[in-house]
Amino acid sequence: MSKQYDVKDLSLAEQGRKRMEWAEQEMPVLRLIRERFEKEQPLRGVRLSACLHVTTETGNLAKVLAAGGADVVLCASNPLSTQDDVAASLVHHEEIPVYAIKGESNELYYEHIKAALDHNPQITMDDGADLVSGVLKDRPDLLETMYGSTEETTTGVIRLRAMAAEGVLTFPVIAVNDSDTKHLFDNRYGTGQSTIDVLSGRPMCCWRARRLW
Amino acid sequence: MLLAGKTFVVGGYGYCSRGIAERARGMGANVIVTEIDPIRALEAAMDGFRVMPMERAAPVADFIVTATGDKHVIDIEDFAVMKDGCIIANSGHFNVEINIPALEGMSIEKRQPRAFIDQYILKDGRRINLLGEGRLINLTSAEGHPSAVMDMSFANQALASEFLVKNKGKLPNGVHALPKDLDREIAALKLQAMGIIIDVLTPEQESYLNSWQEGT
Repeated sequence: MSKQYDVKDLSLAEQGRKRMEWAEQEMPVLRLIRERFEKEQPLRGVRLSACLHVTTETGNLAKVLAAGGADVVLCASNPLSTQDDVAASLVHHEEIPVYAIKGESNELYYEHIKAALDHNPQITMDDGADLVSGVLKDRPDLLETMYGSTEETTTGVIRLRAMAAEGVLTFPVIAVNDSDTKHLFDNRYGTGQSTIDVLSGRPMCCWRARRLW
Repeated sequence: MLLAGKTFVVGGYGYCSRGIAERARGMGANVIVTEIDPIRALEAAMDGFRVMPMERAAPVADFIVTATGDKHVIDIEDFAVMKDGCIIANSGHFNVEINIPALEGMSIEKRQPRAFIDQYILKDGRRINLLGEGRLINLTSAEGHPSAVMDMSFANQALASEFLVKNKGKLPNGVHALPKDLDREIAALKLQAMGIIIDVLTPEQESYLNSWQEGT
């Protein structure tokens, strides 16, 4: 992919910026880290490719990483989870290249992962181990310069442990999912609430196709 | 969709699935848990959920939601016995937990009553409703996790990338957890942001915890 980004519609940027600001109000810990990162620049000059669900919260994380000095690009970790307005705002307001379009085909999904790896990352940040898989399968040249990777989710950690068991994982990975402040809260309260939100909430409330029992 | 009084089956009892089970119960659903791990199954049972194999849960389910990390948690034999109108969804990372190709194969028609719902009509007329193409439902059909929990997850991500830079070339290959002190620091900052103050150990208590000589 030769383009510097691939998002649905840049005119959605303003809406994305506002929604990210709204989400940021609920993210005080990340805000404190951002303030420190701005001063200390711990990621100065580090090329970092992140493959995450492109949501308002991820947008705020990308801004924190960039504030810490990282040269960040972002791609989707699922073809359907991208919030197109967030992708637009990161490109338009933050100059962070994003490769993510809600509803993209599997083919485009993997092209976007390839584009994120073409950034020649020193750190990869995964949600499901797709970047690490891409490095091992298609871009082993990156192993020379990679510091390591981080992994967000249980499924990714399972895949990474399978790679380690086979002896193919030739760099360190931080399993963020294994932190107590991650899986005890995100998995239990986050997945719990957001799943029930879908089933009980407005998206379903007008639907009468199923028989009443 | 009203959850109260419905039979709600949750595939798995890991951290994600127990979160779903607890919240579904809180909404008044009658929750059944399926598991393959005896310890987790026992936890579910003692947390007050009914535990049984998927094949026995499927015929009574109004909803089935999977979050296991494995494939084909809902499979041919389960589709074969589901009630008309059963709603199935996945909250696990990949869209493999529901055997969708098998469901396609068993169906004579597929409708889309509205966005993100595929309604499969089986030969005997039963309708099975698949949400969000079996992809993680909380992100495909809603906005995902509340920001307040992602705050901690992404604090971990930010500190993990800093940790990798600080320790480049020093960490052994393989999978590591973030050091416990960073994990605790995130929790402490979150508590502070929430305005919650906690007790601290007295020197006497600390020395008691670090000794073995003193009993009752």
